Amino acid sequence: MVAAAATLPTDDPHPETDGHRWGMVIDSDKCTGCQACVVACQSENNLALNEENRVIERRAKTWIRIERYWEGEWPNAKARFLPVLCQHCGNAPCETVCPVWATYHNPDGLNVQVYNRCIGTRFCANACPYSVRYFNFWEPEWPSPMDRQLNPDVTVRTKGIVEKCTFCIHRINRTKREADRDGRPVADGEVEPACVQACPTTALVFGDLNDSDSKVSELSNSKRAYSLLDALGTTPAITYLKKVDPSHVDEHEEHGH
Amino acid sequence: MLDAFRALLPRLSPKQLIVISGLGAVLGGGAIAPVILLVVLGAMGGTITGPPEQPIAFDHSVHVGKAGIACEFCHRGIPVVGNTATAMSAPVSAAATIPSVEQCMFCHAVVATDSPEVQKIRAAWETGTPIDWVRVHRLPDHVDFVHDPHIRALAETHPSFTTAQICATCHGDVASMTEVEQVRALNMGDCQGCHRENSAPLDCAVCHK
Ligand code: HEC
Ligand code: HEC
Ligand code: HEC
Ligand code: HEC
Ligand code: HEC
Repeated sequence: MVAAAATLPTDDPHPETDGHRWGMVIDSDKCTGCQACVVACQSENNLALNEENRVIERRAKTWIRIERYWEGEWPNAKARFLPVLCQHCGNAPCETVCPVWATYHNPDGLNVQVYNRCIGTRFCANACPYSVRYFNFWEPEWPSPMDRQLNPDVTVRTKGIVEKCTFCIHRINRTKREADRDGRPVADGEVEPACVQACPTTALVFGDLNDSDSKVSELSNSKRAYSLLDALGTTPAITYLKKVDPSHVDEHEEHGH
Repeated sequence: MLDAFRALLPRLSPKQLIVISGLGAVLGGGAIAPVILLVVLGAMGGTITGPPEQPIAFDHSVHVGKAGIACEFCHRGIPVVGNTATAMSAPVSAAATIPSVEQCMFCHAVVATDSPEVQKIRAAWETGTPIDWVRVHRLPDHVDFVHDPHIRALAETHPSFTTAQICATCHGDVASMTEVEQVRALNMGDCQGCHRENSAPLDCAVCHK
């Protein structure tokens, strides 16, 4: 038991990271709501198709979703888009409620879900303020020939367990191993989760927050930076950048900003 | 002894176990309890189940032991390490990979062509059908095992090892096996035991995907 405890990194909610703290910056000014990230994620991570019924039952699974908000009244209405995925909180509400340590904080600062450990209490999904944890109510099924294109690097989750965005940890692990083999550090921008890779406007940027020269570090210090539900103190690894609205900018300038 | 005994028993899923144990409880335990114990032991026995029957009687002891063919000549996914490697090895791959029919035909177009087993290879080659080798080692879907870092680490810690000896750490002495069989548990405790000894990562997310 004592030896096993050493392998459970959840004792400390903020374990010392051994070099990396993966994070993302989402520029809402660049997001056009095109859903390319959603599709990329769906196929990369073996998510079953969200048929109409699943959506009506409100049981569709999308590890990343584009939330759409309307601002103003027709005809001057503006659509606002907000991609929401697991925030990989530094202080994650989901981690403390899991009775079996199936979700924990790994040394890279990721919030990890160990599927085979999960017993499906759904406490984590209820505790998550961002609603980004999804319960598998059914065995996943793909119509032929889509069952032939599953990603072998990602487990197909069975009925009865909770799943969520992993920041494409299989890509992170692979890149780290490749860098290790070549005896060099992981370069900035070398790891790209599927959503980041698919984004046509580079609204999503991924990288190491512990590397002060990385693009994510630079962007997350922007004046436009904020985190979702900041007041909850979850310290997300995802930073959002506010929309640059010309009308608002003018207004600010008039007020001397 | 216990392992050999477990090998005789079926490997069951937790669900099947629950059903069987439940059945046992309902039937009143007494007589059936030893049976349940056997089944549970069998399930705990991991994947060690003796050599499966292969479509062609391929013999490692002939090819490696007698013919002196290097492991990486056939299992091309393993990395190039030290001076034991040949130019044949692919740079990197998670799987060691099983050779294609074409690779057998390098030699068996001329070697032992009158053997009925080798004629099966020729038939597969001529009809363009792959040989359905049965997997000996198979980790569950949720485990991510990669050969590359292991071969490198073992080559580094044991500079005198040949490739075959490196493989033997986990696969036993394949070079002298007539039929390949799993000799090491390769379950979570086994993986973690070696990782702990070698200060390799113990983070769940390294092995589980
Ligand atoms: C001439 C080609 C050839 C050479 C050389 C060779 N192998 Fe194999 N190996 C095969 C084939 C074909 C199979 C699949 C059939 C089987 O399992 O017996 C196989 C299967 C295996 C397996 C079992 C894979 C599984 O299904 O889990 C292991 C382990 C293995 N080889 C290790 C080695 C090692 C170690 C060496 C070097 C000492 C070696 N092989 C040399 C062709 C070769
Ligand atoms: C650290 C332990 C370890 C070492 C060292 C190791 N293997 Fe493996 N090998 C495994 C495990 C575990 C599996 C099962 C992988 C799976 O099911 O995903 C495996 C599977 C295989 C397979 C069948 C699946 C595949 O990857 O194609 C072959 C062939 C094989 N090994 C050959 C080799 C050879 C050749 C070497 C030496 C160069 C070697 N292995 C060294 C642990 C090891
Ligand atoms: C580098 C050459 C080489 C390669 C490649 C090779 N073999 Fe062989 N094989 C031999 C030699 C040499 C013998 C021994 C022949 C003898 O005993 O007369 C042999 C013997 C055999 C035999 C036994 C024949 C008998 O009945 O005596 C079988 C079966 C066989 N090989 C299958 C395979 C398969 C399957 C592959 C592909 C995975 C393969 N070999 C690849 C050289 C090779
Ligand atoms: C013989 C000892 C040994 C065994 C058995 C072993 N490993 Fe390893 N493993 C190592 C060592 C040493 C390293 C570190 C390599 C390095 O430093 O790059 C390692 C590294 C790894 C890595 C890559 C970690 C990284 O740096 O990203 C994975 C994944 C892994 N092992 C999985 C497994 C699994 C799964 C098993 C059981 C099936 C297993 N290992 C069994 C010795 C072992
Ligand atoms: C060094 C690699 C390694 C590490 C690290 C590791 N595991 Fe495992 N784990 C495995 C392997 C291999 C298996 C499959 C064992 C088998 O075949 O029976 C496994 C199986 C399991 C199972 C059983 C699943 C089932 O269906 O039977 C659970 C639960 C599990 N692991 C949880 C964890 C948790 C939680 C952690 C982190 C504290 C962890 N593992 C860390 C290699 C690892």
